[in-house]
Amino acid sequence: MTMELSAGAAKRRGAGGWRWAGRIFLVLLLGFTVMPMIWMFITSLKTGFAAMQYPPQWWPAEPTLENYWRLIDPSGTVGRDFIQYFWNSIWVSTLTTILAVVVAVPAAYAFSRFRFPGRNFLFFAVLLRNMFPAVVFLVPLFILMKALGLVNTHGSLILTYLTFGLPLAIWLLKGFYDNIPVQLEQAARIDGATRFQAFLLIVMPLSTPGIIATSIYSFIGAWNEYIYAYTFLTRHDQMTLPVGIQRFFSENATDWPGLMAATFMMSIPVVVLFLVLQRYFVRALTEGAVKH
Amino acid sequence: MAQVILKDVVKNYGDVYAVNHVSLTVEDGEFVALVGPSGCGKTTTLNLVAGLIPMSGGTISIGDRDVSDLDPKDRDIAMVFQNYALYPQKSVYKNLAFPLQMRKLPKDEIDKRVQAAAKTLDIVHLLERKPRELSGGQQQRVALGRALVREPRAFLMDEPLSNLDAKLRVQMRSEIKRFHQDLNATIIYVTHDQLEAVTMADKMAVMNGGFLQQYDSPANVFANPVNMFVASFVGSPAMSLIPLTASSKDGRVVLQSPEGWELPLSDANGRKALSAKSSKVVLGGRHSTIKVHKAQVPGSVPGKVYTVEPTGDITFAQVFVSGAVVNVSVAPSFQLRPDEPVFIEFDQDRLHLFDGETEMALKLE
Amino acid sequence: MSTVPGQAIFRDVPEPKRVGLGQKVWSSRFDYLYVAPALLVMLIVIGYPIYYTIELSFFNTPASLALSAKQFNGLDNYVTILTSPIFWKVTWQTVLWTVLSTFFAFMIGLGAALALHREFVGRGFLRALLLIPWVVSAVAASYVWKWLYHSDFGAISAMLSGVGLIDKPINFIDNTNTSLYALIVVNVWKEFSFAMIMLMAGLQTVPDTLLRAAQVDGASPWQRFWHVTFPHLSGVSMVTLLLLAVQNFNSFIIPWIMTGGGPAGSSDIWITHIYQLAFGRQRWGVASAYAVILFIVMMVLGYFYVRALTKGDEARAGA
Ligand SMILES: Nc1ncnc2c1ncn2[C@@H]1O[C@H](COP(=O)(O)OP(=O)(O)OP(=O)(O)O)[C@@H](O)[C@H]1O
Ligand SMILES: [Mg+2]
Repeated sequence: MTMELSAGAAKRRGAGGWRWAGRIFLVLLLGFTVMPMIWMFITSLKTGFAAMQYPPQWWPAEPTLENYWRLIDPSGTVGRDFIQYFWNSIWVSTLTTILAVVVAVPAAYAFSRFRFPGRNFLFFAVLLRNMFPAVVFLVPLFILMKALGLVNTHGSLILTYLTFGLPLAIWLLKGFYDNIPVQLEQAARIDGATRFQAFLLIVMPLSTPGIIATSIYSFIGAWNEYIYAYTFLTRHDQMTLPVGIQRFFSENATDWPGLMAATFMMSIPVVVLFLVLQRYFVRALTEGAVKH
Repeated sequence: MAQVILKDVVKNYGDVYAVNHVSLTVEDGEFVALVGPSGCGKTTTLNLVAGLIPMSGGTISIGDRDVSDLDPKDRDIAMVFQNYALYPQKSVYKNLAFPLQMRKLPKDEIDKRVQAAAKTLDIVHLLERKPRELSGGQQQRVALGRALVREPRAFLMDEPLSNLDAKLRVQMRSEIKRFHQDLNATIIYVTHDQLEAVTMADKMAVMNGGFLQQYDSPANVFANPVNMFVASFVGSPAMSLIPLTASSKDGRVVLQSPEGWELPLSDANGRKALSAKSSKVVLGGRHSTIKVHKAQVPGSVPGKVYTVEPTGDITFAQVFVSGAVVNVSVAPSFQLRPDEPVFIEFDQDRLHLFDGETEMALKLE
Repeated sequence: MSTVPGQAIFRDVPEPKRVGLGQKVWSSRFDYLYVAPALLVMLIVIGYPIYYTIELSFFNTPASLALSAKQFNGLDNYVTILTSPIFWKVTWQTVLWTVLSTFFAFMIGLGAALALHREFVGRGFLRALLLIPWVVSAVAASYVWKWLYHSDFGAISAMLSGVGLIDKPINFIDNTNTSLYALIVVNVWKEFSFAMIMLMAGLQTVPDTLLRAAQVDGASPWQRFWHVTFPHLSGVSMVTLLLLAVQNFNSFIIPWIMTGGGPAGSSDIWITHIYQLAFGRQRWGVASAYAVILFIVMMVLGYFYVRALTKGDEARAGA
């Protein structure tokens, strides 16, 4: 009796021990995760002089928003360029997203619903694209873009971004279509809809969350892309943020507070987008991999 | 309403024949129940009639038209799905209106018909709700309503009651039945539940492994099953089947068990038994045609009680006879104990004989 | 063959006709219209470059990329690569980078997923915070960490000396001994939340009743994890590990921005090396041959990846 009791108590202590281990782990992990971001922000509030001190000022003695004003002030060269990069990024990411979704929707739908000869092969081919590093495509695409006269244009970026955006979009959307019962479309077709009407009037409204999720993915992917932009763009006025800020701050001695302010500004759109639409984002990612 | 004719309909997925050369005529206004074990091709047959999947062979006509190559929307049929398939993003009203909108009816006509259907099915108070805010029975009515608003040439229903609880099922059963009578509708109705088939249908189509086994009135399917599959599938408890050997003895035909007992057959049954391809014959009997005795009587065979299940007004028992399980029923006053030896007597006029090789019922030509 | 009531149609039916492939393709010709635009784009921007990379790998192409002047040199480019000592050094570093990044990202992600599995106040918010590194661009991450690692003013050195672990700032990334590991930390920081979110979803598929049954049977928390939870996670874990491995193998931004593969090639991995060969030294042929080798390695991994992803896909019926 007493033996059993003490064994039970030990077990409970064991479970409690695991729970505490979990909490401590989470706290440490949280520190590891947010520390760089907080440091990014704190540094961005410093003057160049304040940043170059050791040991560092953990909180700036005289916090300033000067670095941010410089970035968004269109009358200075820094501001003018930064705003240009920002718009370029928005434009390229938006257009990529729209094109990827428009092209991926019918393809994903077909892969989910139809069983045409070659379907498996084609779907594998699409998925396989995710396996290849950008570098495999870089040289020939560079040659292709040169031949098409697209070097230093946003067209070159959008076209290449589609290559990694499309497979992912098709895969994500297919996961969503797989979860919409076929019977709904069948019912619609019996109710007098054509196949296309059934898709448009019944399936499309139901897959809106999937389309939102896919759009965020495409957008963030394009927004963060670096290697193609770095290779294809040499002209200042065409650059997107990831390449632009680099060019601009490492030309002479690095202005760390300025660079931190720029990376902070660059991160804002995607982080906000992500936080607002987190629900869809997470669901889409796990849908395909987990729900078998 | 219209007649529906399937001729030699085939559907295969590679080597899997979901529907295999099925021919079936459903008369105008007839209620046909399609029954069979899981995976036998019932849903596939219904989908073929609806035009939701292409046929691999055969023809289907509805009314006087060959619809084999028509789109579902041009076949003018209505279908109630097993899982209801209500459009989740639309209100009940919009669900009911959708088929009419697709046919471009004027707005006031749509409203009139939706209201009428809602009234018939007693769902007027639910019209503004979304499907997920309804109970199973209410969803079921909406699904029925969506079929009703349209006056199609035939109704197809795929196990529409299978998700409901027992009480609701009984209630909906009579509603569908009434609706069939009121509209004189042609209905093909898939079900797992034999009781549903027997109580509602004019005719029963029994399927197995993609093949149509028997197509007849429920009473005839029950009384004259064409083969061992139908015999053991229809009826509750199932017909008992005992594999035996037929031989002639002293000018009479007898069935011999491996255990050594013999059952003499009547003249008619004897001739049936001899028409089998080999000497292997399977004896079948329903519980209602079998008598149980405590002592041997002429024409009875020995067995041993296995289980006894009193249900109140009748007691069911399972008896081991020559290795097979035989379902019998006795009056509650007739005491039976497990492991008790008993004697079983078959009614010679109502027993069934099957060819042990082909599994077909043996008949007199 | 028509049906007479009461007559069974049983066996003895003719074998249905077989349908040829051509006929099948023809009858589903409209289905192809849906996938055509996607396939067209992918063919241009994927099929063509793959073909072209393979072709270039057998040629010596001038630095100017004047393709008319390229000369066939057989397997020379491949021989150059495989006989170069740098190749083996870079390959070893790539393996280290991929294996360590994948392992630590997965383990931390697993720990976080398990710790977050239980409901508690603020769980959603915490999850969102932990996911941010994965959302921000690798470019931003690289700059921040470069600044954190800074040899003169780095916050990490300052913190370590603050708690008395070191007495003068450490040079993390300008040091041939530590650069690769310093970068792996950044990579793990960036990626662990991907593993976390995948495994969290996987955990939701573990039936509660099973865990409770194990608890009633007296299993310890560790035994419950090992015998109940873990087997349920194997599928998701496979996909996650593969995706992480592929992504790490293909990494470019973090090493490129933080060290450029240096110092002295100590943090060079395949992709940065190929990029340097192609766009730094204009050795197009050798770079292409490298890419082809990489491509073959990825195809092998890709086979498993696709198999893991499409498992169970065939079970779903078509419309
Ligand atoms: N798309 C498909 N691909 C391959 N085989 C299929 C497909 N659809 C159905 N089948 C097969 O065809 C057979 C008949 O299926 P069907 O759905 O018609 O059965 P059912 O009689 O409706 O069964 P249940 O009573 O379980 O609903 C099954 O063996 C099934 O596995
Ligand atoms: Mg079915």
